[in-house]
Amino acid sequence: MRHWVTAGVLLGVLLFPLLKVSPYVLHIATLIFIWAFIATAWSYMGRFGLVSLGHGAFIGIGAYTAGLMFNLEGLSPWIGMLLGGALAALLALLVGWACFRFGVMGDYFALLTLALGEIVSLLLVAFRDHTGGSLGFTLKRVGTSWLYMQFEDKTHFYYLALAFLVGALFLWRWIDRSKMQKALRAIGEDEVAAATLGVTTIRYKLKITMISAFVAAVGGVLYAQYVTYLNPHTLAGVGPSLDIAFKAILGGMFSLWGPTVGTGIIVLLEEYIRVNYGAKYIGLSQIAYGIALVSLIIFLPKGIYGSLEERFRRRKTPAKN
Amino acid sequence: MEILFLNALANGILLGGVLALLAFGLNLIFGVVKVIHMAYGQCVMLGMYIIYTLRSLYEVPLVAAFAVAVGAMALWGALLHLLVIRPLLGAERLNQLLALAGLIIVFENLAHVVWGADLRGVRVDLPVVSLGNIYLKTSNLLAFLGALAVLGILYFVLQRTYVGLAIRAIAQDTECARLMGINPGRIYLLTLTIGGALTGLIAAFFSPIYSVHPHFGGSFTLMAFIIVVLGGMGNLAGGFLGAFIIGIVTSVAAVFTSTELAEILALVIFILVVLVRPQGLLGTRGAR
Repeated sequence: MRHWVTAGVLLGVLLFPLLKVSPYVLHIATLIFIWAFIATAWSYMGRFGLVSLGHGAFIGIGAYTAGLMFNLEGLSPWIGMLLGGALAALLALLVGWACFRFGVMGDYFALLTLALGEIVSLLLVAFRDHTGGSLGFTLKRVGTSWLYMQFEDKTHFYYLALAFLVGALFLWRWIDRSKMQKALRAIGEDEVAAATLGVTTIRYKLKITMISAFVAAVGGVLYAQYVTYLNPHTLAGVGPSLDIAFKAILGGMFSLWGPTVGTGIIVLLEEYIRVNYGAKYIGLSQIAYGIALVSLIIFLPKGIYGSLEERFRRRKTPAKN
Repeated sequence: MEILFLNALANGILLGGVLALLAFGLNLIFGVVKVIHMAYGQCVMLGMYIIYTLRSLYEVPLVAAFAVAVGAMALWGALLHLLVIRPLLGAERLNQLLALAGLIIVFENLAHVVWGADLRGVRVDLPVVSLGNIYLKTSNLLAFLGALAVLGILYFVLQRTYVGLAIRAIAQDTECARLMGINPGRIYLLTLTIGGALTGLIAAFFSPIYSVHPHFGGSFTLMAFIIVVLGGMGNLAGGFLGAFIIGIVTSVAAVFTSTELAEILALVIFILVVLVRPQGLLGTRGAR
């Protein structure tokens, strides 16, 4: 039953551009796919109690590495993507090792990563000779080119972003089936107990942090390639970092579809208000979003999709005891 | 070079005084209610906008505008407690943190919608004070002295009054204090109200120094965290010391490098403290 629903949704999404929808609708859908991809990457670690408020650092490193290598050296973003991902994973390794080695967890981990995201943003501004500082820079246009990941038709990027999102969801499933998932869940529930039972806690936590950082950086490259403009305030720092975490939390970071649903809701809400109330009140959508977020954390700590899923499961399998 | 350094040092000390007040509010809320107020700097920003509006639109006298801001922000703090913090008292620590971080989005965009993205400043013409080769802005000096005076009053209230005793008791052991007949709910509300009034006061001290914009609060929230963690969460004396360290370090670093690098330096200090000495410089507790 569940698989049929998933297959139906996927088929609908695949055939969607054939309906001759406007480029605007495709644009919104593409944005949802890209940010859902990043939010899913965030949840890889978030759902095991490693709540990072600094994923802006990773998307920023990914996007700027690929973007600068392309503009300065003409390197294909496909390679830049791997390079940026590797750099982000390296940073995750360094910071993660330090955090886990010294036992930084919970809200201290959240605050430390928040500082990390801000440091990357400030560095991008400080090296303004290369990065364009606060004003950012635009990618050189090359028309439609698969090699350089630039397309004039919105449909191409729609499918590309969709493919990446599906890949991220499959990676989630792979993590779920791996030994890593059991180890991490045990760590998330009781780290000391897990360590006593012989789980190498630091190694597993590092592994998931690096995977999350790598995938987030790839998402950063996707976003930069799509909008062909890089700015430290949209790709790093406190704002984007919080946005990523909130999209995942709003949907529900413990469920496979949670981050995607959360991203969809937020992007659509923002667009709805922007279109209906004009650019002057663009902040209004953000206020509504912030209030919705705070209320959701208070009333539905598991997120929208997560809470729905839980209710659904409870009805299907009545209490066994 | 030496004169440059001395000027930066003096201004860093002056900045440290106001930062100490900022960190004190955050620290008090953390120590008593045990939540990290992620949107504290943003509250200061709202206070500054209130002062700006009263001054530029209604031409209210400066001191009256300051008083209104303090009162309004105290109410705002109480409101925040009732609407957001109280429902979250039983929730997980991380959820409290995230909900308060969500308020950052609300506050910054509220400012954006109401006042726009431009810089808004209150013009106050004050002379420059000079001590030999060291030049100090009167506004900075007044803010420093004012902050110290307020800190002194707060210290007196905490140490010498019954309410202060109740607040300290709750901070040390909530359950035990409850058994002694102290109502934690009321103390929490009071703490958030005091914390709110402090954001109004800081806004008053900042108004003649800085122009305000919707993202103004962000860097000060981070700065306050850095100080609080440096001194040890909940440790008021540590926060006082931390404020001057961070004030001097950022002020001197900004003169010799750039403001971004100065901020990066403060953040790196923060990360190192969290990693190596999470209990803070003056902290003694082994547990986090």
